[in-house]
Amino acid sequence: MVLEATMICIDNSEWMRNGDYSPNRFQAQADAVNLICGAKTQSNPENTVGVLTMAGKGVRVLVTPTSDLGKILACMHGLEIGGEMNLAAGIQVAQLALKHRQNKKQQQRIIVFAGSPVKYDKKVLELIGRKLKKNSVALDIVNFGEEDAEKTEKLEALLAAVNNNDSSHIVNVPPGASALSDVLISTPIFTGDGEGGTGFAAAAAAAAAGGGGYDFGVDPNLDPELALALRVSMEEERARQEAAAKKAAEEAGKQEKGEQQSTSQDAIMTENVNAGISEPEKKTRDLTDDENALLQQALAMSMDDASSSVAVRDTDMSDASADDHDLQLALQLSVQESAGDQSEQTDMNKLLADQSFVSSILASLPGVDPNDPSVKDLLASMQSQSEQKKDEDKAPKDEEKK
Amino acid sequence: MACLHDHSCEDHDCSSDWSLYKHTDLSKVSALNEAASGSVKSIFRAWEQRLNTSEGHLESNEGDPELLVFIPFTSDVKIRSISVVGGADGTSPAKMRAFINREGIDFSDAQNMQPVQEWDLVENLQGVLEYQTRYSRFQSVGNITLHFPDNFGGDITQIHYIGLKGEATQLKRDVVATIVYELMPNPSDHKTRSETGGGLSQV
Repeated sequence: MVLEATMICIDNSEWMRNGDYSPNRFQAQADAVNLICGAKTQSNPENTVGVLTMAGKGVRVLVTPTSDLGKILACMHGLEIGGEMNLAAGIQVAQLALKHRQNKKQQQRIIVFAGSPVKYDKKVLELIGRKLKKNSVALDIVNFGEEDAEKTEKLEALLAAVNNNDSSHIVNVPPGASALSDVLISTPIFTGDGEGGTGFAAAAAAAAAGGGGYDFGVDPNLDPELALALRVSMEEERARQEAAAKKAAEEAGKQEKGEQQSTSQDAIMTENVNAGISEPEKKTRDLTDDENALLQQALAMSMDDASSSVAVRDTDMSDASADDHDLQLALQLSVQESAGDQSEQTDMNKLLADQSFVSSILASLPGVDPNDPSVKDLLASMQSQSEQKKDEDKAPKDEEKK
Repeated sequence: MACLHDHSCEDHDCSSDWSLYKHTDLSKVSALNEAASGSVKSIFRAWEQRLNTSEGHLESNEGDPELLVFIPFTSDVKIRSISVVGGADGTSPAKMRAFINREGIDFSDAQNMQPVQEWDLVENLQGVLEYQTRYSRFQSVGNITLHFPDNFGGDITQIHYIGLKGEATQLKRDVVATIVYELMPNPSDHKTRSETGGGLSQV
């Protein structure tokens, strides 16, 4: 989080028309500049960045050091390619712009994109380098585009003259498959002298590599609300699955209502579970829970047997209540609603209210005689309780469905 | 230890006069054109330690004798005199120019600006010489910048000790102490008095 004022020197000379970087050198450079500006402003809110062009009619400062990212991105728009790059003048103007920065506490840094051949001699460049070092200005050089040994030698000499305590860097980017910005992300130009990477840089690296440490493919820094929403719905889903697992265990013990239902439920639940597990792996796709739910519903429908005509989720709940409680439950499980927990409770109550179901469970338990008077009293009291609740819940449920 | 004062040193403790180093904000002391970053902090010591160079000294870069030292204070001070101990073999600075209460001076500014005061220095290896200031101009100094443009012919300039003599007032300059950035407002951070259940209500 170093407090820094940065001036970026862009090469907009004729050599930038070349297409060896996709789409062309100038565009690749512009993307890299955008990324750098974002990284710098994110790493410390008081950082400022300015931009100037070195070719064209002459060195021109497009925007003086500012922390307003919008202004910087806007000025990159509509730049023209032409002329020859003037490296020495560009660096000197950058140094002047930094000298007049508003916040004198900021460290000074210049980032130069050197794409075209360098016409100045080594001596002149070394002199400039020493002057920068004397005024404690750091310099980062991005050597891309034209490749020739002399250019590299001159730039290395410049770096050696400026370098004070490894605060200056040079990066050579040969033309190739990966974009200029991707190569730069892993360099100290982005990560800022071995601080270990800012959040932005790490996120950009993750997005570029297509994998990474974020659960939902969304960087919490970039979009906290989306990340939060995804995390909350994942937790709700897990909670629902656990409750469903409990219910499935109970129903598996039930004899009359058949294995088929439970297997269909199991199948539905395994689908849910699979979806839950695979979600962290689908990083680049924005699978919302709604889409997932529809998928689950479709699977549920295809797995239920033909006899159950109430397979459609949109059916009014009151119709289904007269029939299978279990089918109802299966439908509810596969559909996600915000009142999920509430519906769990009412399901449990319904289950318990079903006399036959409860008595069958009790019969299967060793040592309990359903004809025992105390057990019968208990059942009676539970039924009256649950009926009350049932009426309450039916009313809000009907409203919801409508 | 020879002292150029006209009193005898046994009675009067000289070192207490040179105590302005206690009021320098050492963490914010900086220098331009120093060979080793941060070495400037080692040259502010107690007067008795002025010849003790075990902690290092300030050196300029090879082939360039200019040095610029920025010294901020923790409160406003009045500077009576300055003492500079340089290096041997022509590495001592030959001139000193002072600028007061200006931040962010670099070499081009220093060369063009008129200093508050200028001195011609001599080689002062024992640290017994002090250079008086025009006291009226150094009454409320929040920070001072010393520019040493050249030396006695050496390749580099070395400074082993800078001593400042004077008084510290307790006045501080306005400073923004802590800045808290909020990305999104968090109501729990901004409780009003009525919410915290204290204070008088005003109707």
